[in-house]
Amino acid sequence: MSSAEVVFDDVSKFYGDVLGVNRVSLRILPGITSLVGPNGSGKTTLMNLMTGLIRPDRGTILVRGLPPSDPERLMRITGYATQYDAAPRGATGFEFVATGLELYGYSRAEAARLAWAALERVGMTDAANRKVAGYSKGMRQRVRLAQAIAHDPEVLVLDEPLNGLDPLVRAETIQLFREFAARGRHVILSSHVLQEVDVISDQVILIANGMIAAEGQIRNVREEIREHPSQFLIRCRNAAGAAAALFGLDHVTEIRLNDDRSGLLVMTHRGDDLSRVLTQLALQGHEIESVIPVDENVDAVYQYLIGGQS
Amino acid sequence: MTLRVRLRQALVIARLEARRAFFSKRAFWVYLLALFPAAAFLLHTLEVKASTQRYSRYGIVSSAQIASIAPGETPEQVIARLGKPFYDRGYTRRRGGEEPVRYRYMGYFDGSARTDLTFKNGVLERKRTEPVLSFEQDRTIFAGIFQVFYLRLAVFFGCLGIFMNLFRGEMLDKTLHFWLLAPVRREVLMSGKYAAGLLASVIIFTAGAVLGFLAMLSPHSSLEVQAYWNQHGAAHLARYALAAALGCAGYGSVFLAAGLLVRNPIVPAAVLLLWENASNYLPPMLQKITVLHYLQAVCPVRMPLDKGVPALVQLFLQPAEPPSATASVAGLLLLTAFVLWLAARLSRRIEINYSTE
Repeated sequence: MSSAEVVFDDVSKFYGDVLGVNRVSLRILPGITSLVGPNGSGKTTLMNLMTGLIRPDRGTILVRGLPPSDPERLMRITGYATQYDAAPRGATGFEFVATGLELYGYSRAEAARLAWAALERVGMTDAANRKVAGYSKGMRQRVRLAQAIAHDPEVLVLDEPLNGLDPLVRAETIQLFREFAARGRHVILSSHVLQEVDVISDQVILIANGMIAAEGQIRNVREEIREHPSQFLIRCRNAAGAAAALFGLDHVTEIRLNDDRSGLLVMTHRGDDLSRVLTQLALQGHEIESVIPVDENVDAVYQYLIGGQS
Repeated sequence: MTLRVRLRQALVIARLEARRAFFSKRAFWVYLLALFPAAAFLLHTLEVKASTQRYSRYGIVSSAQIASIAPGETPEQVIARLGKPFYDRGYTRRRGGEEPVRYRYMGYFDGSARTDLTFKNGVLERKRTEPVLSFEQDRTIFAGIFQVFYLRLAVFFGCLGIFMNLFRGEMLDKTLHFWLLAPVRREVLMSGKYAAGLLASVIIFTAGAVLGFLAMLSPHSSLEVQAYWNQHGAAHLARYALAAALGCAGYGSVFLAAGLLVRNPIVPAAVLLLWENASNYLPPMLQKITVLHYLQAVCPVRMPLDKGVPALVQLFLQPAEPPSATASVAGLLLLTAFVLWLAARLSRRIEINYSTE
């Protein structure tokens, strides 16, 4: 086991009779990892478990070789931006970030320097001296992110970090995540907005009802689920003819013609075989304009896996 | 991680938490509790001043003149010798077939004591002199207020408000994770928070005790106060302040631990209040695990008990064989250290679960 992984080994957590997560085993490699699931699926529970805010009822967790029960060492390498505001009453954004840094043992001057640097990275220097209580949702999100990254952690854990951000800030924030990940660090974030993590994640962990429904790169996740047919949108002149040619294939389970008769949706258990057949059709004279694997995004995979709970 | 770094972390936590402990909206009533004795004695001072003014509105009569009045004299004779009283009223009592009885009451003031004269059918029957202000009495009342109200209620509930808030309050505000996500051992966090609560409670309640004591002294003559101060006063004040501070340390540790253990502060408060106040029923060994047992011995004046106080109440209020002051301080500090050790162990089990709060 590499110490550069975040490892959950058979972890369960119950809140009284309510299931948090059940028998979760995971290995999270450095890079951007998204925990995806509907509200109440267990995303925040997993994040709280790996940062020691809650303890597992069974199983073990190691974050880069450190147990969450040792906050003194763990939180030196971990930054966690939760969904909740934690700023002391009346604190400004700068005070909020700098105060947290003092607990790392930095002198006041050094804490101030690092706080400004972190606020600058999230574009909050202009509002740094305003009270957090007066911040908008997006500004709060950013100041929490600043606090999480201020000590330059190896593992960045972010609960719904893109919520409330405008498109420009969202793009900057995603760039920040990518920079972290490019340095061999963990960026573990949660989201229930599937499209937003689809484009930024190296790997996705799909959670439903406290259990891991799938994990890995989205394409790999998709391929693991062989019992569910893949969907391909094929644009071609003679859609009806193409449909007729494909209908006899044993791995094709369903074909739907578009209303405009210039495209069809094909569901198949073997995408590679379909590609070969389509190549042959093209060679036979069918004018095939494009083949788009429509369900290789998180949303579609997710729908397959959890049955449309999101 | 070195001890020095942990100490620095605890100091940072204490500094930040002290602000919350002093200025929390939830704890404003703590100030009212702490200032109650001072307010009561200031009212007493005002009342004494008002009474003195009222008594002396027709002049002050010398105590020798008042002493010369003897039973059997008539109101007219008294007025002839002492002048007009500051009050003069009477009534006639009539019962069935009995002869009516005329009562007349008059009062004189010698500058420090009032004398009430009761005439029955025109003859002085009773003379009663009572000082308007009694230093001895005030000191005894202060001792009673300090031990019955201040230690048993004000410090007790004040510490409940301050120390239970350190963890429970943050859980309710959904801000506790700020501390738990810092690279700080839970024991260091608990120590920092305890230090903050202790600082706030000790300052508030020792200041309250000192102000109450000074307010108690305020209406008395400077000569009396000076004499008392030189003899016992300074030591008494120091011991009252020490008792208040130790009370904060002891109750604070208990409520900090309770805040880590239970959600509802009312239950531990009720149990502890009962346990503390029923300690005199307990065997000596168990008495040693009550905070009051030690505090009573630190107080400079034994709590006065009026003869009229029911036996059952006396049993609650009268300490059984208090230890020496030195043993009390040591015992209370040991008890506090033990409770804090328990709290440190409990602090390792803290989990964030805001949704169930």
